[in-house]
Amino acid sequence: MKKIILIAKKEFLDMFRDKRTIMRMIMIPLLVFPLIIYLITTVQESQSEKEAGKELEIGYVLNNQSAAMIERMDAAENFKFVEYEDTFALSADVKSHTINLGIWFADDFDHAYASGEQATYGVHYRQANEEEYDRFENLLDEQEEYLVQERLALNELPSDYVEPLNLVATNKSTLREIIGKYAGGFLPYIFMAFCFMGCMLPAIDLFAGEKERGTIETLLVTPVNRVHILIGKMIVVTAFGLLSATIALVGLVGSVYLMGDGGPLTTAIAEIVSPQLVITLYLLLIPVAIFFAGIMIPVSVYARSFKEAQSILTPLNMAVIVPAMLGFLPGLELNYTTACIPIVNVVMSAKAIIAGNAEVGPLIITFASLILLSAVAVFVSFKQFGKESNVLR
Amino acid sequence: MIKVENLYKSFKLSKKQQKEYNTTDREAVPVNKISFNCEPGKIFSLLGPNGAGKTTTLRMISTIIKPTSGKIEVCGHDVATQSKEVRKSIGFLTGSTGLYERLTADEVLKYYAELNDVPTAEFEARKKHYYDLLDMHDFAGKRIGQLSTGMKQKVSITRTMIHDPAVVVFDEPTSGLDVITAENIIKLIRDCKTQGKTVIFSSHIMSEVDLLCDDLAIINKGKLLYNDSMDNFRANMQADSLTGEFIRIVNENKSLNA
Repeated sequence: MKKIILIAKKEFLDMFRDKRTIMRMIMIPLLVFPLIIYLITTVQESQSEKEAGKELEIGYVLNNQSAAMIERMDAAENFKFVEYEDTFALSADVKSHTINLGIWFADDFDHAYASGEQATYGVHYRQANEEEYDRFENLLDEQEEYLVQERLALNELPSDYVEPLNLVATNKSTLREIIGKYAGGFLPYIFMAFCFMGCMLPAIDLFAGEKERGTIETLLVTPVNRVHILIGKMIVVTAFGLLSATIALVGLVGSVYLMGDGGPLTTAIAEIVSPQLVITLYLLLIPVAIFFAGIMIPVSVYARSFKEAQSILTPLNMAVIVPAMLGFLPGLELNYTTACIPIVNVVMSAKAIIAGNAEVGPLIITFASLILLSAVAVFVSFKQFGKESNVLR
Repeated sequence: MIKVENLYKSFKLSKKQQKEYNTTDREAVPVNKISFNCEPGKIFSLLGPNGAGKTTTLRMISTIIKPTSGKIEVCGHDVATQSKEVRKSIGFLTGSTGLYERLTADEVLKYYAELNDVPTAEFEARKKHYYDLLDMHDFAGKRIGQLSTGMKQKVSITRTMIHDPAVVVFDEPTSGLDVITAENIIKLIRDCKTQGKTVIFSSHIMSEVDLLCDDLAIINKGKLLYNDSMDNFRANMQADSLTGEFIRIVNENKSLNA
């Protein structure tokens, strides 16, 4: 045990002095989410403000119908209406971006409306500029509501005459459940992705790197059992995976917390990130990190150089990322089947724990299968590390 | 004391390796039933051209790899069954030995001392001895990555000797080093002899062997071609130089095998 700690201590010191480690395993995971969230919200806000302030030029063809609707809409802020003689010119100008949108009225529009029928009008728009259409659609909805009320008043009918049903819907889901359903898959995905990346650099450096630097022989000549050397290094690989994932989660939760600014979202996050959740999550994720270390170490032991190990391990990333992404599928839940599929089971369990509806049975199966898997991975690592042909390749 | 008896090492060749070595053999035999003894207070040299099996032999003595058959005893311990005891008594240095670039010289030495269970007081005393001997005080706290090749070699030497091993194994220790840096190694090997340690070193440079060794073994393609004292080698040589004699023995064996 003393030797395992000694090796782990030295490897921690060695890794923490590596600028790549600090950058890839601490700085990037810590800053990536605050930066992404900041950029998205800033860009989105400034874009929405810009869009709302932009004047939309809308061409219209009356077809000898009343201009009353256009006059009402013209009163709205940031809309400018321009009259056209025919729909061909209107359509061509929308297409060529000369104007933003076009509206035309059927030649029986007034008559149809007055006789209580459906009055037809059309809009020319560009789907590529959907936000312009959305703004105009809001204006059109207001007009429709105005005409409905006008027609009801003419016929001396109450204003809710065309709404025979009054639905009283009461949401019984907590915000925590909603977050669990829609974003619950995201949290374990982030954890898995960063855990994998966090394991990768030390796994390569501590085995393939040691071979490349010519230090492995000297280490093997010391009176330390090879299993102890392997375990000491494996502890470091696993710890860096967990550290990297933890830092990423702190960054993510911290930025969402700040974004919530004391509102219900902040309260829900505080409720979700409870000590129980953190403990359960880590109970699941420690064997996952050991499993990651266990699949990376044999590759790193086999590889001749840092570069070779990296070229083999990088594509392996997909094998973890793709099953972890299944957590985003809303229909897929934790059950006895998903509990048996590695990676998927962690994501599903975490999702269920976050939503607060995890069942004990599948959770136990998930945990047991992860322990088994990590044990197999450690065994494979040990076998590979013991092979002369690998160590001195 | 090192006793090597009928040492044999073979390993299977993959198709890729067969192609690489341009052979149809399914097995490679880097060491083929060799025997020799290295005695305390003497320097034993394992001489041979590149690919002769020197490194494989030294790696088996140092327990890094296991022999296929045969027996090795180091200080009375069997390498196959008492590898931990063997490793405790061995210091190992090669020309290509690396050090942890991000650690300081002090940290590297402390790490190896602890791995070898050296008590703190002993470690400090031995470290001081080598720091004085090799003039290392100025760079003791510097990271290995910032040191020159010569300084690194001094750290490697101290690292090898930090647990005061009874047997020291040098695998082509001066390979790739300049004359001044190589001189430190030569000094160390002589120092080991004075202290009564068993020293085995491999080389393909005859002048280095002539300078240092008491006993000599020549191997080529895994086979032992010559094993006697350096004095007898000098006395019985047929060629007009030591290098010439070494080449003659290797070539003679080649023609016998052909």
